Order: sequence, then structure tokens, then C-alpha cells
Amino acid sequence: MSKTKLMVVVVLAGIVVLSFASGATAAKNKIKGQDVFKEFCKPCHGADSEAGEYTPMSLIQDQWETFFDEKFEETHKGVTDPNHDNKPVIDVLTEEEFDALAKWTVDHAADSEQPMTCG
Amino acid sequence: MRRTLSLLAVIAIAAAVPADAEKQKYSHEDYFEHYEGTKTCLACHEDEAVSFFHSQHYQWTGETPAIINAEGKMLGKKNTINDFCTNPIPAWIGITKNSRGEILSQGCSKCHAGLGKMPSSELSREQLENIDCLICHASGYNRNLFESEDGGLEWKPILWQNQVGMDSVSKRITMPKRTSCLRCHAGSGGGPNFKRGDIEYELAETDRTFDVHMGTDGGDMACTDCHAGSKHRMRGRGVDLMGSDQVGEPLGCGNGACHTAEPHAKELINRHTARIDCTVCHIPTFARADATDMARDWSKPVYSEANDKHIPTFTMGKDVVPVIDWYNGTVWAQLPGVTVTTQADGAVGMVLPQGSRTDPKSRLFAFKVHKGRMPLLTKDRWLLPINVEEFFADGDIDGAVREAAHAVYGLEDIDYEWVDVERYMGIFHGVQPAATALRCLDCHGPDGRLDWTGLGYEADPLAAALAPSH
Ligand code: HEC
Ligand code: HEC
Ligand code: HEC
Ligand code: HEC
Ligand code: HEC
Ligand code: HEC
Ligand code: HEC
Ligand code: HEC
Repeated sequence: MSKTKLMVVVVLAGIVVLSFASGATAAKNKIKGQDVFKEFCKPCHGADSEAGEYTPMSLIQDQWETFFDEKFEETHKGVTDPNHDNKPVIDVLTEEEFDALAKWTVDHAADSEQPMTCG
Repeated sequence: MRRTLSLLAVIAIAAAVPADAEKQKYSHEDYFEHYEGTKTCLACHEDEAVSFFHSQHYQWTGETPAIINAEGKMLGKKNTINDFCTNPIPAWIGITKNSRGEILSQGCSKCHAGLGKMPSSELSREQLENIDCLICHASGYNRNLFESEDGGLEWKPILWQNQVGMDSVSKRITMPKRTSCLRCHAGSGGGPNFKRGDIEYELAETDRTFDVHMGTDGGDMACTDCHAGSKHRMRGRGVDLMGSDQVGEPLGCGNGACHTAEPHAKELINRHTARIDCTVCHIPTFARADATDMARDWSKPVYSEANDKHIPTFTMGKDVVPVIDWYNGTVWAQLPGVTVTTQADGAVGMVLPQGSRTDPKSRLFAFKVHKGRMPLLTKDRWLLPINVEEFFADGDIDGAVREAAHAVYGLEDIDYEWVDVERYMGIFHGVQPAATALRCLDCHGPDGRLDWTGLGYEADPLAAALAPSH
């Protein structure tokens, strides 16, 4: 696919999504990506977890985008979540939770801006 | 359903994140395949690494032409004691946790542009490979403390186990951006804007009402547009830092490089610039976004429940009006291992600008005057350092003083007391639009900000000029 075409699609879809999102912002803002991560991801991806430790800082923004775009379904459809009625991991999140999670991981990815302080 | 949803979510993110890092084309994309540490850069940039090795940023010592009592010594962060975090030797590298297991601090080397080894004055391969080029030159680079092969600790990219991510970030080579410098400079002193007052994280992304030079709708200037010297030396040590990185190329506003000394249409304002630095009128207040530390009393530890951390007693200030005083470009500094000199009010002057009304080289400058209370060796009356990171965790200030006195001076079983200190720090950033510059009455009015007699005038010269002559 040519790059320009992709750009157009992205921009158009972006407008659609954003205008849809603005109607729903009030409800959406209440969900924190960090809380979603703690509840739905960390139990399997904490330090020393068998499935590997993952925090937002494990991947760069690009990799998180690709993960949610192409790999999440593939890698988690066969994994069931014991904390949520043994449903497949890909079916336990609501749309809002999923969006909040995806945004939070990207915002806090390994290549996000992280100012330092002492103490 | 899930499939479409995730696609949409990703598109929303792509639209929300500004045309960003990885989409841009970088010069270094084809220069190397895998990043394997600084040696990857050394293959082509040995000269730049050598120049960086010699800089104040790496050595933490440098020449001291501006300090009248330095006697030619090389000074800097490594071998001075200040009234913020004192001296970095006792807490160079290490992880301090609180009782909840949360990380409180990681050592003063967190803001050294090296990977954890102390700088040495001897140039070697090991020292060159210790330089962290990416901290200034790769946007999106972040690092953390990890165990090294010899069981110690070292700074490593947080992506060191993610080669694809690491390669992507290490190829995003640019000249340093504001955020590259602010990651160390905005957090100095222990928190956002604590130390300087005028170098805040706000400057990363702000408008011209906050800073005409760096505001994105103003000059959108990088720190390096003013500060870059040559061969990795920075111009501009300000008033209170010890070393002068780029000797002989002072940085100022009205010396003709950017502005002339008489840039105003109004002749009367131009007449003022001979004796008043531009910053005095054009930076009316500092600490406009984050509060700054105006006083720090190490003798009165307090416990912060919120962070489970012991801290000194801070007095913070926001929107602070600077103190205005004479300065001729040189200072007197209280050096370690030297008997302290106290001023009339009993406080030790840590850094005192030199100059007076009668010294033709002096002009009025704007200052943050930082006060503190520091430990003092009773016998020799030397300033003592504190192992502040150890104190953060256990609150034992006495132990932290004794330990640091041992690490820095090699002293045991000391007697010490507490002494008030005072430091003059120049205010140079946060230049506001001309409309908010000081007006005549801000200085000449009855509640003006100048202490005329303290500055050596018999009275307000405007009043004198207006007085009927006889
Ligand atoms: C019930 C356990 C479980 C939960 C809950 C879970 N994961 Fe996983 N995750 C796994 C397993 C198992 C793998 C390894 C899959 C494989 O290697 O094929 C994995 C792999 C991954 C990977 C690596 C994928 C790759 O490309 O190799 C990422 C990233 C990840 N998970 C993120 C998440 C996120 C984000 C969440 C929260 C929405 C989550 N996981 C929730 C078990 C879980
Ligand atoms: C194969 C040789 C090679 C390697 C390896 C290499 N560089 Fe360069 N670098 C160059 C050349 C050639 C230039 C000048 C031309 C250019 O900008 O493309 C340059 C320019 C630069 C500049 C100036 C950039 C600018 O925007 O003006 C910086 C900074 C830099 N390199 C840093 C690094 C760092 C850090 C590394 C290690 C991650 C590195 N380089 C690795 C060859 C290399
Ligand atoms: C890794 C942390 C770090 C980064 C990144 C960093 N600095 Fe510094 N900078 C320091 C420290 C620490 C000192 C004080 C060294 C000393 O006094 O010995 C310093 C000193 C300075 C000085 C004073 C020089 C002098 O003559 O005393 C200037 C100016 C400066 N930095 C500007 C910058 C600029 C501009 C950037 C971005 C290109 C930058 N710094 C990036 C940590 C950093
Ligand atoms: C978040 C980054 C950061 C950390 C962490 C940090 N510093 Fe600094 N420090 C700086 C910067 C930047 C400067 C130079 C610019 C300035 O003073 O604003 C500096 C300057 C200093 C100076 C003055 C150097 C001079 O030439 O006068 C001393 C002393 C100092 N730091 C001590 C410490 C100690 C002790 C620690 C650890 C307890 C520490 N710093 C941790 C950023 C940091
Ligand atoms: C504290 C921030 C900092 C660090 C760390 C740093 N640089 Fe730089 N670098 C700068 C600044 C500022 C400039 C521009 C002014 C100058 O050349 O001094 C620069 C310029 C350069 C240039 C361009 C030189 C030219 O003449 O155009 C190259 C190449 C470079 N750096 C490579 C490196 C390499 C390689 C390392 C690691 C060994 C490194 N830098 C570490 C701040 C830094
Ligand atoms: C418009 C020019 C300009 C820009 C942009 C600028 N500075 Fe400065 N800076 C100055 C001047 C002037 C001084 C005082 C120099 C002197 O008297 O030696 C100074 C002093 C300093 C000092 C010495 C300590 C002190 O007194 O403040 C540091 C550190 C510093 N600047 C860091 C930065 C950083 C980091 C940035 C980017 C966020 C930055 N500067 C952007 C002009 C600038
Ligand atoms: C005594 C206070 C004072 C000093 C000192 C001062 N300025 Fe100004 N400056 C002003 C005022 C007030 C204005 C607004 C002019 C007006 O309203 O006519 C101004 C306006 C400006 C402007 C906007 C252009 C203009 O003429 O309106 C620039 C640029 C400027 N000053 C730069 C400087 C520089 C550079 C210096 C140091 C060489 C300096 N100023 C010193 C008070 C001062
Ligand atoms: C930053 C404080 C400040 C501001 C603002 C300021 N002045 Fe002054 N003014 C001074 C100082 C200091 C002197 C003495 C300068 C000297 O020693 O030569 C002075 C001197 C004067 C003098 C007597 C010397 C001369 O040049 O004639 C007059 C008249 C005067 N100011 C008028 C004004 C007027 C009118 C304004 C507003 C346009 C103004 N000042 C704004 C600080 C200020």
C-alpha cells in the first residue's frame, strides 16, 4: 500500500474516532489505563512471572502500537484469565478499558519523555 | 469485533500522538546495525567522545577564573559542598528504598552523563565507553540502574533487553532538544524546579508568555541555541556554579550577539542598560509553574508520610520577586576544607557576587537568594557534607553527617554544630514579553524593589533628578 493512502485513511479514521470519542469523554476519563493494567495484565506479567515481565517501559511506542494492532489477539486468545471467570484474556476488557490501556502504555512507553529528579 | 476495535484504538493513538519520533527519518538509521553501547558511537566519533571527556559535564570539575578565592584550583560538582544536596561522593550510586520498598533515590550519578563509573582525569578506553552519548543526543532514550557483571550497579538503557527497541531509539540521533537538557536540569536540587527557580520542566513545551525565547509560539529556541560552545563545552556558568566550562566566551543578552546594549526605542530605558542587566527588567518573577526551594534547613528533619521519606525542612516559594544586587562577573565562594567566613548577620556566604556601585564593571542583576542550615565542623570550622540519600530512608541526620564527613574528609568522631548559610543564584530564564517588563515605578516608586541605600545610592536618583535644582 502506498504511504499517502495509508496517511489519508489514518487521518479520516482519526477524525471519526476522535469525534466519537469526544461524545464519550466524560465516561471515558474515569477509566485509568494504569488501573486496567494492574487488574488485567500485571497478575500474569509481574516480576518473575512465567509469561515474562511487562511494564509500559518494556516496549517502545511503536512496539505497543504493533502489539495491540497485530499481536494481542493472536497471543492472548488462547490464554484464559483465572481472575476473570477463566475467559480468554481478549474478552475480559470493555472497549473503554482497552482504549485507556492502549493509550497509557504508549504514553509511558520506554521512549516516552521521562524527566528525572533526585530523591 | 475485538479486531476492529483494536485497530480503531491504535488509529486513535496514532492520530493523538504528534507526528512522532519513529516516523521521522534520522541520519543515523543506516550508520550501524545494532547498538552495543557507547563503543558503537566511538567507531566514528572518537574525537567528539574525547572532547566530551574533558568537559565540565563529564569531569564535574573545571577551570575557575570567575572565583576570586579559588587560587587556580579545578572545581565542580565532584569536589564542592553546596546547600542543596551537599556533595555527591558519599552517595554516588546505589538504590535507597523506604520501608514500603519504594525507591527513594538512586545516587547522584543519576544526573552524570556517564554510565556509572566515576569520572577520572586519566583518559582511557574504559572512561570513553563510560560516556552516555544518548542521554543528550537520542530522543526517547531513558535509563535505569541495573546490576553490572561485577556485581555492582551501572546505568543501562531501560531497553537493554529489547534489542529492536534499543536499535530504534539509539538511531534517533539529533542535536540536544530542550527535553534532553531538562531531564537533568529541571530536577536538580531534589524535585521539579527545586534548585534554580528559573529552569523548570514547563520550558519543555510552553508559550511566549512564559518564555519569549523558548515558547513554541515565540523563538522556540533550544537550550543549545544559547549555551552551545564548541567541543562539547557549554557557555554560561551563571553566578554560583564552580567551574567555567567554556572559558573566555561569556554568555549574556546585550553584548551584540543577539541584542545590542541599547535595543529600546525609548532613550530613557536605554540609558538604564549601562548599569542594569536586561534580565532585571525582563524577568519580573521566577518559579511561575513549579514552586522552588527558597530555604532548606538540614538541622530540622521532617518525615513525609505521603512518600515515606525523611526530608529537611523546606520553605518553598512561587512567583518569587528576585533580589537585585551588584555583580561584576566574579564571586567569592565558600570552599570545602577552608575555615568559613561569616557575614555580619552570622550566616556563611556560600557564593557571594562581587561588585558595587563604584565598580564600573558592576551592573545590577536579578538573584534567587537561597538560605540554608548546614553542619559545621566545630574544631576547624569547615562546612560538612551530608549523605542525603541515606538520610532520606532512615531519617538519621547525625549518622548521615558523620558518614559523609568520613567519605569526603576522612574524619572520624567529629564534633559539629549547625550554621546558617546563604547563596546568590542568578536568574536568567523565563524572559517575559515586553509588555510585562518592569515599569518606572517598580523601581522608583515608594514600594519599589530596589534597596537604594543598600545599593550605595543616597536616595532614589529619579527623585533626585526631579527635585528642583537650586
Ligand atoms: C492469564 C495470563 C495473562 C494475562 C492476564 C495477560 N497476559 Fe500477556 N501473555 C501471557 C502469556 C502466556 C504470554 C506469552 C504468549 C506467547 O509467548 O505466545 C503473553 C505475552 C504477552 C506479551 C508479549 C507478546 C509478544 O509479542 O511476544 C505482551 C506484550 C503481553 N502479553 C501483554 C499483556 C497485556 C498488556 C495484558 C493486559 C491486557 C496481558 N498481557 C494480560 C499471559 C497473560
Ligand atoms: C558509521 C559511522 C557513525 C556511527 C557508528 C555513528 N555516527 Fe554519528 N555521525 C556520523 C556522521 C558521518 C555524521 C555527520 C553527518 C550526518 O549528520 O549524517 C554524524 C553526526 C552525528 C551527530 C550530529 C548530528 C546532527 O544532527 O548534526 C551526532 C550528535 C552524532 N553523530 C552522534 C552519534 C552517536 C551518539 C552515535 C552512537 C549511537 C553515533 N553518532 C554513531 C557517523 C556515525
Ligand atoms: C546527565 C545530566 C545532564 C544533562 C543531560 C545535561 N546537563 Fe548540564 N549540567 C549537569 C550537571 C550535573 C552540571 C554541573 C557540573 C559541575 O558543576 O561540575 C551541569 C552544568 C551545566 C552548565 C554550567 C556549565 C559551567 O560552566 O559550569 C550549563 C550551562 C549546562 N549544564 C547546560 C546544559 C545543556 C544546554 C544541556 C543540554 C544540551 C545539558 N546541560 C544537559 C547535568 C546535565
Ligand atoms: C535530577 C538530576 C540531578 C541529580 C539526581 C543530582 N543533581 Fe546535582 N546538579 C544537577 C544539575 C543539573 C546541576 C548543575 C546545574 C545547577 O546547579 O542548576 C547540579 C549541580 C550540583 C552541585 C553544584 C556544582 C557546582 O559546580 O557548583 C552540587 C554540589 C550537586 N549538584 C550535588 C548533588 C548531590 C550531592 C546529589 C545526590 C544526592 C545530586 N547533586 C544529584 C542535577 C542533579
Ligand atoms: C551533556 C550533553 C551531551 C552529551 C552527553 C554528549 N553530547 Fe555531543 N553535543 C552536545 C552539544 C550541546 C553539542 C553541540 C555543541 C558542541 O559541539 O559542543 C554536541 C555536538 C555533538 C556532535 C556534532 C559536532 C559538530 O561539530 O557538529 C557530535 C558528532 C556529538 N556531539 C557526538 C557525541 C558523542 C559521540 C557523545 C558521546 C561520546 C556525545 N556527543 C555526548 C551535547 C552532548
Ligand atoms: C535565550 C538564551 C538562553 C536559553 C534559551 C537558555 N539559557 Fe540557560 N542561561 C542563559 C544565560 C544568559 C545564562 C547566564 C550565563 C552567565 O551569566 O554565565 C544562563 C545560565 C544557565 C545555567 C547556569 C546556572 C544558572 O545560573 O542558571 C544553566 C545550568 C542553564 N542556563 C541551563 C539552561 C537550560 C537547561 C536551558 C534549556 C531549558 C537553557 N539554559 C536555555 C541563557 C539561556
Ligand atoms: C530599566 C528596565 C529595562 C532594562 C534594563 C531593559 N529593558 Fe528592555 N524593555 C523595557 C520596557 C519597559 C520595555 C517595553 C518598551 C515600551 O513599552 O516602550 C522593553 C522592551 C524591550 C524589547 C521589545 C522591543 C521594544 O523596544 O519594545 C526588547 C527586545 C528588549 N526590551 C530587550 C532588552 C535587552 C536586550 C536589554 C538589555 C540590553 C533590555 N531590554 C534592558 C525595560 C527594560
Ligand atoms: C530595574 C529598576 C528600574 C526601572 C524599571 C527604572 N529605573 Fe530608572 N534607575 C534605576 C537605577 C538603578 C538608576 C541609577 C542608575 C545609575 O546608577 O546610573 C536609575 C536612574 C534613573 C534616573 C536618573 C539617571 C538618568 O539616567 O537620568 C532617571 C531620571 C530614571 N532612572 C528614570 C526612570 C524612568 C522614567 C523609568 C521608566 C521608564 C525608569 N527609570 C525605570 C532603576 C530603574
